[in-house]
Amino acid sequence: MAHKNMHVVYGLYDDEVIMMDAVKQANKEHLDIMDVYSPFPVHGLDPLLGLEESRLHIAGFIFGAMGTLTAFLGMTWIFTKDWPIIFGGKPYWSVPAFIPITFELTVLFAAIGMVVTFYTICGLGPGVTNPYLDDRITDDKFCIAFDKSNVDVSAVESFFASTGASEVNQKTI
Amino acid sequence: MNQFVFKSTAKTFLISFMILGILCMGLTWLSDDALHTRFWTNLLHNSVFFTGISLMATFFIAVCITSYAGWHTQFKRVWEAFGSFIYVGLGLMLFIGIATYFHMNHLYHWTDEADVATDAVLSGKAGFLNKNWYLFGTIIIGGTWAFFYNRLRALSKAEDEDGAGVNFSMHRKMRVYAAIFLPIVGFTSAAMIWLWIMSLDAHWYSTMFAWYSAASWFVTMIALTILILLYLKGNGYYDNVSQEHIHDIGKFLFAFSIFWTYLWFSQFMLIWYANIGEETIYFRERYDKYPVLFFGNLIINFLIPFFVLLRNDTKRKFGSVGFVAGVVVIGHWLDFFLMIKPGALHTAHTALGNGDHGHTEGAHEAAHGVADAAAHGASEFVSGFTLPGFLELGTFLGFLALFIFVTFNSLSKASLVPKNDPYLGESLHHHV
Repeated sequence: MAHKNMHVVYGLYDDEVIMMDAVKQANKEHLDIMDVYSPFPVHGLDPLLGLEESRLHIAGFIFGAMGTLTAFLGMTWIFTKDWPIIFGGKPYWSVPAFIPITFELTVLFAAIGMVVTFYTICGLGPGVTNPYLDDRITDDKFCIAFDKSNVDVSAVESFFASTGASEVNQKTI
Repeated sequence: MNQFVFKSTAKTFLISFMILGILCMGLTWLSDDALHTRFWTNLLHNSVFFTGISLMATFFIAVCITSYAGWHTQFKRVWEAFGSFIYVGLGLMLFIGIATYFHMNHLYHWTDEADVATDAVLSGKAGFLNKNWYLFGTIIIGGTWAFFYNRLRALSKAEDEDGAGVNFSMHRKMRVYAAIFLPIVGFTSAAMIWLWIMSLDAHWYSTMFAWYSAASWFVTMIALTILILLYLKGNGYYDNVSQEHIHDIGKFLFAFSIFWTYLWFSQFMLIWYANIGEETIYFRERYDKYPVLFFGNLIINFLIPFFVLLRNDTKRKFGSVGFVAGVVVIGHWLDFFLMIKPGALHTAHTALGNGDHGHTEGAHEAAHGVADAAAHGASEFVSGFTLPGFLELGTFLGFLALFIFVTFNSLSKASLVPKNDPYLGESLHHHV
């Protein structure tokens, strides 16, 4: 949630099936959903919300390729130019011996790079407090949230009532 | 459509390819050297390749049952159909075993008793590498595989008949058979790979070879599954097998291509690094005399599946996943070609008197063919050995047609989607 001072109206649901039906109903009524929060990933929710596929794995590929190049070119430079040492009678430029380290650095760069990218995009990190709507959306409640500036509040409230929300609240975050 | 109909046009098509295969094998026999090395290696190559695929299909059914997997349940009959080739495959291996027992071929150096007596390495291995182990190992171990396949298949079919409601007794029995089968197949597949394939290079030592060959079988089995499913879907069967299922099999194809490469490389790098003569002989021979296949193997079986299937959506699109599956089937056939041919060619040279310390018998009979061509120079091109020729290709098509014929025949014997499998619902609602 990157925005500050947003007025949010949200409904809590007890079950992900009821929540999914409510999302379908909201799409039918052309209500502009701000976001949906759930304690666990719900299958089939992404296409309903019109979310694009994450591009995180493209970042992962680029970081991985950087790791491959760093390791391979680094070792090539070290063992042929900077400090050539003969190991076990092998040539200086021993490609098979470089492969395991190249693999390891590829994995390391991809993993760390993806974590850093993810944290940066989500605005997460040590010392950061993130606003949240309700404690229970990390436990047993499924939440559909609307931005009050985008929707008609009375329409949203009747929508929550008709789709079986167990609770409707408003909050400024 | 829940019942596969094996149409007569498909039968005619497959039988004509089988006839092509038989013709190619006949031509190979006629144009061969005195020991018919090319004929026997082609027969061994294709028999081992397709027997292994059917074994891996049964193995994977057992893995899925033991791990409580349900995503595959809809199309598990395809794997059962692959598994039914085990009877045919073992018949072929039995034929080769009998021929080896009575010395009608000379594929394996360790069958030469005079050489074994004077050779320290071969006599050291003689407790395992001998004609009795080869023939009776094939019968006993292969028979065990066929028995477990038979039980799993029979229970799966019985479940269709009387498994309605909450009668899980058949599934419980399958679970027991599958759990017993897994350790058995783990050890025995290695033993059979040592005997059937690795002992062609009788002097060679490697502890990773069995894993590496078995991974090759497994990847091919997954690739063939994709191709058969796409064919069946194209013909109106398996409507409920969706992108989601293909995506998961595509992941297996991707992951096990990497696993195969991992084993290939681990074997290569350890041998390269240790640099011990008994071990390097295998790679020296292939690196020097078979460079196209040696490096092509890695390109076809690693680089293509890795880079094409790396993206999420290429594993979901039937075109890209089918393309990679087709490439990988050919690639692993070439992989087995490279495992089998060099060792057998070397053995033939030695036996025909053109090797380093050969025998005189048969030397003068080798007027043409393999041994003669290779006698002129170590790195000379030998058709059907250095690269597969048209006869190898025809033989492969014949065997592939036989494999698909057996598969389709088995598919037509039971409903395509199992009726009462307890995991069927999970498979129908599978979502990645």
